[in-house]
Amino acid sequence: MSWRVPLADLKIPEEDVQAVLDCLRSGWLTMGPRTKQFEDEFSAYVNSPHAVAVSSCTAALHLACLAAGLGEGDEAIVAGMTFVSTPNAVRYTGATPVLCEIGGADDMNIDIEDVERRITPHTKAVIAVHFCGYPAKVTELRRLCDERGLLLIEDAAQAIAAAVDDSGRRAGTVGHLGCFSLFSKNQLPVGEGGVVTSADDDLAAKVRSLRSHAMTSVTWDRHRGYADTYDIVDIGYNYRLDEPRAALALSRLKRLDRDIEARRELARTYRSKLAGLEGLGFVWDDQAVERATHFAFPVLLADQAARDRFRERLQGLGVQTTWYPAIHRFSDYRETYGELSLPRVEEAAERHCALPMSSGFSSEEVEIVVEAVKQALAEELGAAA
Amino acid sequence: MTAATETFPEIPFFDLRVEEEDLEAVAETLRSGWLTMGPRTDAFERKFAEYVGGRHAVAVSSCTAALHLAYLAAGVGPGDEVIVPAFTFAATAAAVIYCGATPVFADIPGRHDLGIDPDDVERKITPRTKAVCAVHFAGYPAPVDRLRELCDERGIALIEDAAHGPGATLGGKQIGTIGFAGCFSFFSNKVLPVGEGGMLVTDDDDVAAQARTLRSYGMTSGTWARHSQATTTYDVTALGYNYKLDEPRSAMLMSRLRRLDNDIARRRELIMVYRRALSKMDGVTLPYRDEDVATASGYVMPILLDDPDFQSEFRARLRERHGVQTSVFYPATHTFTAYRERYAGVSLPNTELAARTEVTIPLFSHLTDEDQQRVLAAIEDALR
Repeated sequence: MSWRVPLADLKIPEEDVQAVLDCLRSGWLTMGPRTKQFEDEFSAYVNSPHAVAVSSCTAALHLACLAAGLGEGDEAIVAGMTFVSTPNAVRYTGATPVLCEIGGADDMNIDIEDVERRITPHTKAVIAVHFCGYPAKVTELRRLCDERGLLLIEDAAQAIAAAVDDSGRRAGTVGHLGCFSLFSKNQLPVGEGGVVTSADDDLAAKVRSLRSHAMTSVTWDRHRGYADTYDIVDIGYNYRLDEPRAALALSRLKRLDRDIEARRELARTYRSKLAGLEGLGFVWDDQAVERATHFAFPVLLADQAARDRFRERLQGLGVQTTWYPAIHRFSDYRETYGELSLPRVEEAAERHCALPMSSGFSSEEVEIVVEAVKQALAEELGAAA
Repeated sequence: MTAATETFPEIPFFDLRVEEEDLEAVAETLRSGWLTMGPRTDAFERKFAEYVGGRHAVAVSSCTAALHLAYLAAGVGPGDEVIVPAFTFAATAAAVIYCGATPVFADIPGRHDLGIDPDDVERKITPRTKAVCAVHFAGYPAPVDRLRELCDERGIALIEDAAHGPGATLGGKQIGTIGFAGCFSFFSNKVLPVGEGGMLVTDDDDVAAQARTLRSYGMTSGTWARHSQATTTYDVTALGYNYKLDEPRSAMLMSRLRRLDNDIARRRELIMVYRRALSKMDGVTLPYRDEDVATASGYVMPILLDDPDFQSEFRARLRERHGVQTSVFYPATHTFTAYRERYAGVSLPNTELAARTEVTIPLFSHLTDEDQQRVLAAIEDALR
């Protein structure tokens, strides 16, 4: 059976297809002029002096952690409600991720007071996540980090173009380093890809070097005769993006504002059509909706059992949903770090469910989701009565 | 760097041509709207496994990623040593360091054979040696049959860095299928190019299962499995990575794989023409023998200059006088700053001499006979 409405529905219009084909016809696929252009345009788009294209947001986070100087014996405080890549990136460097609390089920972003409580002499960085595209309080967090001599990394995988304040400053540009995702389900999707941004010349140079094996010249430079050999000055990685993906990202970047507005409009529609339904709650408020860029639309159910029944009923009605398990409850994290207690993260993880969200849904698809949600909630009430 | 100095070579050392059928495969994938690792990647993995004659093929984001996963599967970790050649791209050694282990460099036999020297491997085995990685240099099979015996006797894993394959065979078996795991590259200049991409091949079910889990964050189910309703949630059971390939690249690889044998046949033909002409020129030595070409993948055409101080001048003459681009495969890994700082005092005389005298001349399947003759004439002139 296929979904009547999948979680995300990526539509690739003909202009994107042609952009990729033009690139393929050129015969130059290794990181080169298109990647450079994409980085320039991305940097202008989010308003950050440097943008470095990489193979994924996981790679972006890893490079950001390395640029931040994380290594054995260090700690980084990481928002407890996120995808597993965020704390994993800390572990890749040999450092320890210290998971911290979120505001609550109705504010799933990092809790600054809890960050402050978890700072130790080993803490070197803090990673805030703009969960589901809703901006975390990074301006305040940056102030704390500056006071305590810590680096702030923003995991903006889900939040490209989200406004962190009234001035419209964009997610990923407040911290020392910002990490973005170009994964298929994200607002600017190319398949697999990511970007690191920074205002700091040295941090950006470090990221740029390590994404391609810390080589002092790349294939494209040598092709053009700028260099005929290279040195390797650090232990780097192959975290390069390639030209076809850069071409696709460039083509889609032109429509990104419109795509985001379509997502925001869908969030507004969900919030107005699902308002006041018994047994269903929203996360964040109307102001946050306007600032967010809506990677996903999470809703809250009474408890884990109600959430699981809700998801099953929606599945039965052909509507795909998802949820984010709490990181500290994964087997690997339990085995590595023992049992942690983060009650607010646990509650949020147990109660939330993300409804389909995409820039490409038709009003029919939205109506299917709305009706399915209403039906699932009615069945829940009926079963309880 | 200013535009004024920008000069594109008239004859590059590699050139990639994407055919109409490749374009259609990619376009059709993009139009489907499903880009995350899914049915096309599955199909390509099966086809690739069949092509090389391995039991499992696990598609990843690069050969560096494949090497990392292969070392992890071999249990390489802090305190361990892995014996690797230095006459290779640095990823072979770097992936050892990713695991927290130490790369121990082995030399090559000499100017006739640029692959790893099994005698030197044997000398460098210690109680801490967990794995040996053999690189099939330029697509000429390394003696992995002998290395396999050496490793098996001592309980050491043999990893094949088959970045320069596929399509090369040893004793009738494709390289990359003889050791514990084989790692392939789909980088732009390779025989099966896609931009960035790689593959891990293994006959071991557990190694394949582990690689599959670790390439996708150690998750018990992927996006495609959830989309196709095989499952609705997941656990994370190990520290994994994002080493996924995506569907457009799998589609293009599938399309190009159909032409791989033809491409390799043409490469071998060009190599034989090069060898016949270059063997008559003074000042140049050709590694490997004519009879080795038939079982090689024909990835690149390495030549060795007899004058150890001529490499830079020779390459400059080719480029400036004749518009012929060359490369050096490879600067020796142990001589890079990052490695000298970490592993001081490594001496590999044969590798060092080869690195100083090697020049990689243009080779790609659509190199025309005419252009090849221009390259040969340019070399003759540059040698004067």
